[in-house]
Amino acid sequence: MAILPMKHISMIGLKKDRRAVLDVLQRCGTVQINDINRKDNAFYKYDVSSEKLLLEKQAAVVQEALEILDRHVPEKKPMLNVLNGKQELSRKRYEKLDGEQEEILETAKHIRELSDTISEYRAGMEKLQVQMDSLVPWSSLDLPLQFRGTKSVAAFIGSLTGEMSRDELLASLFDRLPAVDAVHLEIVSSTREQVCIVLLCLRRDAGPVENALRSMGFAYPSASVPTLPIRQMQEWKEKKDRLEKARDTAEEEIRDLSGQRDSLKGMLDCYAIRKEKADVAGRLLQSRHAFFLEGYIPARKADTAAAILNEQFDLLVEYEDPSGDADVPILLENNKFAEPVEGVLRSFSLPGKGEIDPTFLMAIFYYILFGLMLSDAGYGLLMVLGCGFCLRKYKNMEPGMQKTLRMFFFCGISTTFWGAMFGSWFGDVTKIVSTTFFHRTVSVPPLWFEPVNDPMQMLVFSMAVGVLHLFTGLGAKLVQCIRAKQYKDAVYDVLFWYLLVGGLIVVLLSSSQFAGMFGLNFVLPSVVGKAAGSIAAVAGAGIILTAGRESRNWFKRILKGLYGLYNVTGYLSDILSYSRLLALGLATGVIATVINQMGAMFGDSVMGAVLFAVVFLIGHALNMAINLLGAYVHTNRLSFVEFFGKFYEGGGKEFTPFAVHTKYFEIKEET
Amino acid sequence: MENMGVFFALLGAVLAAVMSGIGSARGVGMAGEAAAGVVTEDPSKFGKVLILQLLPGTQGIYGLLIAFITLTQIGILGGSSDVSLYKGLLYFIACLPMIFVGYWSAIRQARAAVASIAMVAKRPDQSGKAIIFPAMVETYAILALLISILAVTGIGSVNI
Repeated sequence: MAILPMKHISMIGLKKDRRAVLDVLQRCGTVQINDINRKDNAFYKYDVSSEKLLLEKQAAVVQEALEILDRHVPEKKPMLNVLNGKQELSRKRYEKLDGEQEEILETAKHIRELSDTISEYRAGMEKLQVQMDSLVPWSSLDLPLQFRGTKSVAAFIGSLTGEMSRDELLASLFDRLPAVDAVHLEIVSSTREQVCIVLLCLRRDAGPVENALRSMGFAYPSASVPTLPIRQMQEWKEKKDRLEKARDTAEEEIRDLSGQRDSLKGMLDCYAIRKEKADVAGRLLQSRHAFFLEGYIPARKADTAAAILNEQFDLLVEYEDPSGDADVPILLENNKFAEPVEGVLRSFSLPGKGEIDPTFLMAIFYYILFGLMLSDAGYGLLMVLGCGFCLRKYKNMEPGMQKTLRMFFFCGISTTFWGAMFGSWFGDVTKIVSTTFFHRTVSVPPLWFEPVNDPMQMLVFSMAVGVLHLFTGLGAKLVQCIRAKQYKDAVYDVLFWYLLVGGLIVVLLSSSQFAGMFGLNFVLPSVVGKAAGSIAAVAGAGIILTAGRESRNWFKRILKGLYGLYNVTGYLSDILSYSRLLALGLATGVIATVINQMGAMFGDSVMGAVLFAVVFLIGHALNMAINLLGAYVHTNRLSFVEFFGKFYEGGGKEFTPFAVHTKYFEIKEET
Repeated sequence: MENMGVFFALLGAVLAAVMSGIGSARGVGMAGEAAAGVVTEDPSKFGKVLILQLLPGTQGIYGLLIAFITLTQIGILGGSSDVSLYKGLLYFIACLPMIFVGYWSAIRQARAAVASIAMVAKRPDQSGKAIIFPAMVETYAILALLISILAVTGIGSVNI
């Protein structure tokens, strides 16, 4: 439960070792390397943009090849694949992969080419199919489509739009050509859209006949085919079959290459590693023969890192405590219990300068508040079992995922606890099932009390939890003040508030009117109340005098002090804000009860039991999902707004070490 | 006139569910439109914007809660539904906080959620903070829920 102390590290080495040193640093993964912005005549920065660009381009090729493989041979992914984590890859295998870069890149390019040719083949096949379709009406014609007649006979081969019989056609033709009488008409095929015809006439009549045909809407076929249509179609068909075969071969080849998927993925990881290295190389300074880098390293790892480097290279490593005003990156370390909440803390902000790591304090209340809001033992058990099972079964899971599951595991334990205290097991399922199906009432009694029957008691309890939470926050502020040796601030900003708020609460508790209102079964003696009242008054006066202490002008100072005292309303609203524990807890319980009652409406029969099971499953799944979300959001809110409001601002930068960050494989170092 | 008690109590219960339900439906709809836009651009943000979309949905649940508690109190869900006119009106009044605050807070919360969704679209690393802004609005729905619950459960023991 602490922020790890950091050392500022700087080193000078020989330029020829630069690559190797960076390699070692990346594998250690413990140093964050700063971008040095110092102008110098001897030292300059290395331009890595072209190297990065090349890497990005190559990575894009491999990425595309992977996508093509996925399209042709979808990868079989088991359920819950996200939990499996990354596959392991030994350092030796990785280095072998790194050496095979050229070949793998060639494979990727080959896959891309194959994919391109496949689309070409596809386009060709489609085109042929269209051409073949256009010849279908002509398939029974035993003349070439281009046939225009002999020396003395003219032939017209073409189509007319619309459906017409042979007689109708002849009639309308002779209408237009009173002078011509020798015409031979044959209908090749006829559909609703067009009639395909062959018309023969004497060569000398050709001119007028053509004009007449044109006026009827005659058109020559668009496909220019020198041979018989049927033969042409045969030819195209063969061509299309050849293309299809070629496409199948190419697809087969891609399928064969799917064995390379792992190499491709590994290669992508290689590129990612190299890109990070190039990125870091661009941050250091170098001269003709040397390079210089600086950054941060966790203090306890500094010795080992320096030893490793000194052993392998001729270089100078120095580390020292960072100067007071340096912006030191933050790395948190917590035990297994508190660590999971680090993610929630990070989503708010990491500790800023002079702030303590609030993770542990936050974690305790986080679990308690979450449990109070979900507060159903059934849902809690489901969470515990589900998360516990996944954590046990998938050891290799991503650290982030594992933390999240661990957080919900602890939240689940707390939920089960509070659910049992308040007697809620999937709402009142035992009572409903026993009365509906067994005609006896069996209910699980709460270990403490049922909030639905006694909301006032639950409200008081919620606010008590709130006061405890807020006072813990104030306590954290006290620790921060003492650490910074600001003892005056500790008294003025923390102690006075403890006394004021605490005193006022005791005054309330000693009034019988208040006790009656909230159904408390005890009243503090009035002497205690009076004493607490005077303490609160003194603390209030202290706040008026000191809250504006940065002002020299006494008039201003008192005004600011009064405004500071006004903050007591802030405490009131903070404490009231914890009433959401009651509201959300009731929401879970009451809706669960509604679901059970809806399920029981079908009565005591086999059908009724089946329907009950269906309603139970769907209803509780929905209720659990919605209330999990609610509990998560509002626990975050209580932590961020009410709790952190008392002592924590954040603003620290995260420690981002130069390390191996891969997507597909976890590279395992051999020891 | 004597039997009008149940009528007013039921009116309050139903309005609590209706108004909060309408508010939540509109709110979740608004946030859903914004969320769909973000997912079009970047499907990997689905989980983050889904949480934000669901935030204005809780008012509907609170309304249901008040409706249900009222229904059990006035005996509509079994038991005797013998409610005097005066008590019926009291139940109606007890439902008012949820009726009004449930509706308006859902819509205002949805507007905050839409803004937060835009924030997540641009700065996904800040999603923790983005959840807090809409959750601030929800406080008032919770306070209304609280008063309605306390009032509805308290009326049964009032002697009139």
